[in-house]
Amino acid sequence: MHHEEEEDPMDLVCCGLKIGQRVPDFKIATFEPSKGDFGEFSFSTQKKDNKKWTILFFYPADFTFV
Amino acid sequence: MGADVVTISCDTQYVHLAWQKDEKMLADVKYPMGADPTGNLASLFGVYDEEKGLALRGTFIISPEGVLLNSEVNFFNMGRNIDELMRKFKANLHLAKKQNEGCPSKWKEEGDKTLVPSADLVGKVFEALQ
Repeated sequence: MHHEEEEDPMDLVCCGLKIGQRVPDFKIATFEPSKGDFGEFSFSTQKKDNKKWTILFFYPADFTFV
Repeated sequence: MGADVVTISCDTQYVHLAWQKDEKMLADVKYPMGADPTGNLASLFGVYDEEKGLALRGTFIISPEGVLLNSEVNFFNMGRNIDELMRKFKANLHLAKKQNEGCPSKWKEEGDKTLVPSADLVGKVFEALQ
């Protein structure tokens, strides 16, 4: 390929959940400082058993700043 | 306060352990630190940067019924204001109890003025907020 591949702006349209959408069930491996152990966060458990609000806080990388 | 906070980065759970043990600023952390090395969860929320393999600075507030109600996403070099996150969360708690109300932009905490949308309010928001 010798021609420059230009990014189609439409490809960059944020895929991902929209405000107002139901969040699908997901699970994620965790480290839990309160227990000092590894665990798992299950969103379906959060909805069914805990019935609590969830705040997901994404960030780029451990051991960095800001 | 009624919410479970989960932090998530594309580091593994092992790195989270090492970081939490190492960094004094994290000594009091009680919330689970989520590991998303494949970026699948970050992609679901539209914050995965494939080129870097890192998650953008995104915060998402989800109701107990599982509906995504708020999102804030910043580029890597800009932090999020936690007071603003608290404000939005408190507003969500209030609005979950008072479903006929709206929290205007200056709303900060329980007790501040809210609006009750109705035909009477049309063109009279200024008066309603006095």
